[in-house]
Amino acid sequence: MSEGPCRRLDPKARTLWRVHGTLFSPPVLAAGGGGSWALLERAQLPPWLAFSPGVAAAALALVLVTVLPPARWHRWRYEVRGEEVDLERGVLWRRRTLVPLSRVQHVDTKSGPLQRRFGLATVEIYTAAGSEEIPQLAVSVADELRENISALAQTHDVL
Amino acid sequence: MSSENARRLHPVAVLFEAVQITRHWLGVLLGGGVAALASNGLPVHVVVAAGVALLISGSAVWGVLYWRTTSYWIAEGSFVLHRGVLSRKQRTIPLERIQSVDVVQGVLQRLFGVVEVRVETAGGGSRSPEAVLPALNREAAEALRRELEGPGTAGEGRRPPDKTLRRLSTGDLLLAGATSGQIGIALSLIGAAWQAADNFLPQDLTLRLAERFAPHSAVGWASLALAAGLLAWLLSIGGTVLAYAGFTLSREGGMLHIRRGLLERNEATLPVSRIQAVRIVEGVLRQPLGLVTLRVESAGYGKDAGVSTTLFPLLPRTRAHELLLAVVPEFAADPVLHRPPARARRRYAIRSALPAAALAAALILLFTTLADAGPPGLLPVLVVPPALLYGLLRHRDTGWAISGDRLVLRTRRLSRTTTIIPLRCLQSRSVVQNPLQRRARLAGFQVSIASGRGRVHTTITDLDAASAHTLLVRTGSPA
Repeated sequence: MSEGPCRRLDPKARTLWRVHGTLFSPPVLAAGGGGSWALLERAQLPPWLAFSPGVAAAALALVLVTVLPPARWHRWRYEVRGEEVDLERGVLWRRRTLVPLSRVQHVDTKSGPLQRRFGLATVEIYTAAGSEEIPQLAVSVADELRENISALAQTHDVL
Repeated sequence: MSSENARRLHPVAVLFEAVQITRHWLGVLLGGGVAALASNGLPVHVVVAAGVALLISGSAVWGVLYWRTTSYWIAEGSFVLHRGVLSRKQRTIPLERIQSVDVVQGVLQRLFGVVEVRVETAGGGSRSPEAVLPALNREAAEALRRELEGPGTAGEGRRPPDKTLRRLSTGDLLLAGATSGQIGIALSLIGAAWQAADNFLPQDLTLRLAERFAPHSAVGWASLALAAGLLAWLLSIGGTVLAYAGFTLSREGGMLHIRRGLLERNEATLPVSRIQAVRIVEGVLRQPLGLVTLRVESAGYGKDAGVSTTLFPLLPRTRAHELLLAVVPEFAADPVLHRPPARARRRYAIRSALPAAALAAALILLFTTLADAGPPGLLPVLVVPPALLYGLLRHRDTGWAISGDRLVLRTRRLSRTTTIIPLRCLQSRSVVQNPLQRRARLAGFQVSIASGRGRVHTTITDLDAASAHTLLVRTGSPA
């Protein structure tokens, strides 16, 4: 088996994903809390059973904010080498993808409002069968990568 | 604007367009007529007659205008279609972007001895053809087709003769219908027809019919069900005959020609260079008979996934490789396949049996606690063994091989499908592993190819992890 790709995402990605997790937590907590309240007040279940949805929701929120962002960042690697773009990602469902440069049709960078606050951007690589993303790179790195892949794709273009 | 070699459609296009416009506005007219009646109490037949007269004369005028303003020509390496009664539209398609030229002859077109020509480019899958010429006579259509397909694939001037490679015999056509496995679709059609009859016929009539003919015994019901199934089966044979009668496959240089259809004659032309993959599909009813269907995945073509992507509807599995060698040698491969390891068998079995077991448990709980069904309530257990067998079958049928510059993948869902993909058509490749697979040192392998249906993934799962990674690296493009 060949060595996987080696370049990492921008370190600020962890902070940004923590913000994402924080934004996503209130609905999770509300659902868990609501469930617990219903079990306690309406279904008259014993307290330890009734509290379990709330506890589970709190644990999930904690994982979303503290555990998942660094783990995702740690797992995400990418590299453009030789003939292909090499991507490796996923904490539980690990996925490694190779996209030949000669199949790349065009490359975009995009940056949402939150990403812009952090100075980050996402590179999107399009082939004839959809697209692959490299998220959370520093804007300058993303631009450079886009130009780089684009230029290489043209030199490798064999149709 | 216009060019000196601009050509017009066959005059019968006036009629076609008029019919289309009439059909389009008829509903509007009826609605409006009813509204008018309700408001000012004119006699019904006067309003309807006036409306129909207006519509027909209007459509006729429109049809003439449409015919006069529509023209097409070929200039400077592009096909140009110019049209528009009210607003002028001119569409220019570079010849090298043209993906396929189809000649279709519907029932109406057959009456007048004209054909419809559809020009497709390699665009998104779900849109209508980029240019449609609804009525041309045979010679004009043939001439246009030659011009459109001229550059690009076939050599200048010296075309090899159009050699017919395969025809579908009548016996095979009927066999294809009998084994098409579309009985379920036909059954639902029959059900829908019954519903419609129920809605439109007077209430007491269907009731009286039902009372008169309803079976009064289990045997009666069984024979009724059998009759419905038989009717559905005959319908599916009929549908197959309509679509595939007279199926002829031939190749001319870099072009495949496929002709088919009983009432509506279809002539499709497909550049071989656009084909991304060939699939050998063994349907549930066909596999025991050793019969297969050949399909193609082609960029920007094949919106109705069933019929238009059929390379050949029915042939013995032993002859499939031979046909591919004769027609599309670029896609012929018949290697010995590698298989998932024996230790993956358990995962295949569990993946298939677990949902079935969960379903059975839920049903048993329901029957025994709520319905108090007694011992028969345990019957849902019977779904587990078939599911288990299905999982084992999937394990047995999964396979892969690299044969020269082609990747061969075999999978089973309901039918067993062998996909042959040239490495240069692989858009991306992935290895996927979840935690359970990591523990068992197994992994899934997935490739994506371009197709008329957008992106198509083919996945084989639970290979040995090391072989999956080897496969990932080895499926890189040939240098």
